[in-house]
Amino acid sequence: MPAAPVSPNPASDWCGSVVLAALSLPGLLAAPLPAAADSAPEHALLQFKTEHYQDSQPGFQRIRVEEPALYGLLPLGEHLSLSGSAVYDVVSGASPRSYSSTSGASRVHEKRFSGDAELTWYADRSSYGLSAARSQEHDYISNSVSGDAVFAADDNNTACNVGLSASRDSINPTNDIVENEHRTTYAGIAGVTRALSANDLLQVQAGYSTSHGYLSDPYKLFDNRPRRRNSGTGSLRWNHHIGGLGATLRSSYRVFHDTYGIWSHTAELQWVQPVSLRWVLTPGLRYYTQSAARFYVDPPADGSPFPQLPDGAFSSLDHRLSAFGAFALSQKAEWHLSEHWSTDLRAEYYQARSSFRFIGQGSPGLANFQYYQVQFGISYRF
Amino acid sequence: MNRAWVVLITIAAGAAGSGCAMQAPKPWQKGVLAKPEMTMAGDMLELKFNDHTWTSKEASFGGFGVGGGGCGCN
Repeated sequence: MPAAPVSPNPASDWCGSVVLAALSLPGLLAAPLPAAADSAPEHALLQFKTEHYQDSQPGFQRIRVEEPALYGLLPLGEHLSLSGSAVYDVVSGASPRSYSSTSGASRVHEKRFSGDAELTWYADRSSYGLSAARSQEHDYISNSVSGDAVFAADDNNTACNVGLSASRDSINPTNDIVENEHRTTYAGIAGVTRALSANDLLQVQAGYSTSHGYLSDPYKLFDNRPRRRNSGTGSLRWNHHIGGLGATLRSSYRVFHDTYGIWSHTAELQWVQPVSLRWVLTPGLRYYTQSAARFYVDPPADGSPFPQLPDGAFSSLDHRLSAFGAFALSQKAEWHLSEHWSTDLRAEYYQARSSFRFIGQGSPGLANFQYYQVQFGISYRF
Repeated sequence: MNRAWVVLITIAAGAAGSGCAMQAPKPWQKGVLAKPEMTMAGDMLELKFNDHTWTSKEASFGGFGVGGGGCGCN
């Protein structure tokens, strides 16, 4: 990349960093607070958050998850920052082995630890991040590395981002249906973020992912999926500030398609409303719809528990590969206790039904699925 | 996929039309864009929790970033 010209106006330099900071996409997700793009964040941040999750279908309490987590962001001089997180999950309950059948559901009681760390270098009108992550369960281990870069254009209103990642997973299910299986995934993404006006920020991204190896679910019956899966995504995010209300509408849309034959659309809206100097309320609405994988097999019309399947055919009775739609409603409340401390509480209710789908066909006889999750967090900025 | 294309074309046309109608901000007009809620970022752990939940309950994944690795829940 050619060296960026020196701006004659210091204010312009600061403003140029705004789009870059607004883009801020280290690793999978972004830093919780905006930072100047051409220098490391001015403040460190420590955050604790815990989640309680419970899902169910009519007459059947399924999986419960308790998930405490830590996040830290530390500036290391003017041009470098280190961030990382650690998450510990305790998962218990039962999950259907086929469709939404409760008979013979597999019992689960397991723990998962995941952690990641990212080092970010900030240069003039650009930043570069390198990260590594690991997730470990007794029967599944995933290691991954990723890199990303963000470049701001000279007009200070546009930034481009690119990211690449690779992961290698090891799978050893307790039922010994397979042993020492692996899954390898490579993914890339590229996008553009543009300040459309003083109140509008728009981002467009395209992503691609390719996985090969053992992609079936060893705990589902008759689950035999192709050993390669390629997928593509297109996404749009638009943040609009409404000056008269002091509010911000955050909207996003994603389209997904893969070689399993699945299409999906996801749309999300969040209304960020400060109600005082210390309180911010954020209600949210999310809609998701997907078509079925081409090898997903609907439940037999004659009422028998399992369909007739040819030997060796690709198949899945996993309802997550069926055609369905889902709505999620959420509400978050943030309380800024002081310059350093803040706390937040977020609750979400999600319901999925085959009848909620906008695209796709089939999926008769599946029970509705729902979950609620509650998150509580506390942050210290210094 | 007719419905999918209708959605895509409508959104793309809306975004393009709105973008053309707007005036890119001058350097001194970017105070609002610096607000935390105006960034594409968010609460790191909240995003991580939500992404983990949705990718384990739905067939789709990705679209807004790369990295983070997988888990046995999906």
